[in-house]
Amino acid sequence: MSDTKTPLLEVQNLTKTFVTQGSGAVFAGKRSFTAVDDVSFAVQPHETLAIVGESGSGKSTMARIAAKLLEPTAGNVLLNGTDMTHAKAKDLAHFRSKVQVVFQDPFSSLNPKHTVERIIMAPLDYQGVKPPKKRRDFVRDLMDRVGLNPDHSQRYPGQFSGGQAQRVGIARALAVGPSLVVCDEAVSALDVSVQAVVINLLKDLQRERDLSYIFIAHDLAVVRHIADTVAVVNKGKIVEHGDRDSIFDAPQHEYTRELLSAVPQINPEWEAARLTRAQTAQKENP
Amino acid sequence: MSRQKRSKNAPRTGSLKTVSIPIKGSTLLDVENLTVTFPTVRGPVDVVKDSSFRIDPGKTLGIVGESGSGKSMTSLAIMGLLPEGGEASGRIRFFGHDLLDRSDREMRRVRGDKIAMIFQDPLSSLNPYYTVGVQIAEAYRAHRGGSKAAAKKVAVDAMRRVKIADPEQRVDHYPHQFSGGMRQRIMIAMALCLEPDLVIADEPTTALDVTVQAQILDLMKELQEETGTGMLFITHDLAVVSEVADEVLVMKGGETMEHGTAEEIFSNPQSSYTTALLDAVPRITDVVGDIKGVSHE
Repeated sequence: MSDTKTPLLEVQNLTKTFVTQGSGAVFAGKRSFTAVDDVSFAVQPHETLAIVGESGSGKSTMARIAAKLLEPTAGNVLLNGTDMTHAKAKDLAHFRSKVQVVFQDPFSSLNPKHTVERIIMAPLDYQGVKPPKKRRDFVRDLMDRVGLNPDHSQRYPGQFSGGQAQRVGIARALAVGPSLVVCDEAVSALDVSVQAVVINLLKDLQRERDLSYIFIAHDLAVVRHIADTVAVVNKGKIVEHGDRDSIFDAPQHEYTRELLSAVPQINPEWEAARLTRAQTAQKENP
Repeated sequence: MSRQKRSKNAPRTGSLKTVSIPIKGSTLLDVENLTVTFPTVRGPVDVVKDSSFRIDPGKTLGIVGESGSGKSMTSLAIMGLLPEGGEASGRIRFFGHDLLDRSDREMRRVRGDKIAMIFQDPLSSLNPYYTVGVQIAEAYRAHRGGSKAAAKKVAVDAMRRVKIADPEQRVDHYPHQFSGGMRQRIMIAMALCLEPDLVIADEPTTALDVTVQAQILDLMKELQEETGTGMLFITHDLAVVSEVADEVLVMKGGETMEHGTAEEIFSNPQSSYTTALLDAVPRITDVVGDIKGVSHE
């Protein structure tokens, strides 16, 4: 990463304070809570930035502000060097054609009463953009690319498994041809075998389509497999930020070390024995 | 809570009062050929097929599987808590007494007292309108009776055992005043205050942050060593099962794919499904390289 390059997306000094108006005798009065506290980060083209933290750390709020789904209390969001913080209508449409989001729960983020075709086309339809080819073919190609059967384009989300529904969410995000996809816990709800397939799909799509990702996750092992750079957040602040291997192999901050040491691991001796066996078996039966 | 159908011809082995008295030479939990069937419009479906395992005192059996594997149905069948329509057959022997043969009333006495449960979501298992102390005390009094004051003392002691700081004050707090990890400690306190012989923990740490999960797993292991309780630990997480279980049973689509000691399963898996699952798990150490997907979508 050179400093002279303009990042694809940059956020500067973001702060988000939520103010709640309580009611009743006990909870009356305004309370404020700072979910994101003076946070800056940047994503380069083709790069995956992972933001990791525990629940309540503010990582999802950061992602939502970066995707312009939420207004920051203070700070700026820049796309290709242009300030988009207060973008309206036309500029916002441009932003949305470059930055898309995949959410954690595919079933609550896909309209259950719309067909997959309508769901995938929705971003283009909202923006009044015509697809580069016939609507049906465009949807079929996208479905095929994310590993869905194109013949299922008239089905509803409820007819798919969790992993398949998440692929619909990915296809929808790709429809406008974005440069950046914000994945907010996009693989957290999936079974481990399906999760691996979806992670590999995201990596393949990144190579093919020059995508950048902001990957929000609580699972450090998943992050190790997908991220180029990692920002560790705690209580609304980034406590450590660096390239993946330095975060995992030489964590500097106490909190990062605590997080890493808490991750459950398969007994390394058993793991080593299994891998040795597998290698021997492969040598004998190539 | 729904009624569980049982085979009419099943022999009655021992009366309710003797459930706590082990039949000589019996195992803590001995499950034989357990099959759980649900009726569907397309005919009956077996969600657990011919499952057999044993749990000894002080030992932990981990059942690991993905969604729909039947791991939770196995635990619900043991507790007699299968959802409406579910039917269990085979044998579930607890100290030699067949549990499938018990009435709802009898099973209510066994649950909580002899067999305790810890679920994934502590918030939905706790009543928001009562203090945690009242709820722990109620669980205790339902089985052991005694005065409210005595039960409250039991609650304070149980909270101290699960390392909740300042239990004398905290006993009068409501569930929302505790964090997720603290609420799960309260569920564990509730489960352990009756000194059960068997604890069934169904994804007990899945909803928790990783640092909190580590604390809860340590606490559960420590308490188990102290009390010698047998444990059935249900999880989708292979790494967690590797840390807690003595024996592991891998399930898929209701069937047992593999069953052995944890070391056997993780160091020398026999089933290709176990191998595929292990290959799919992302690791924080990069020793394994690329993760592989399992094609069963």
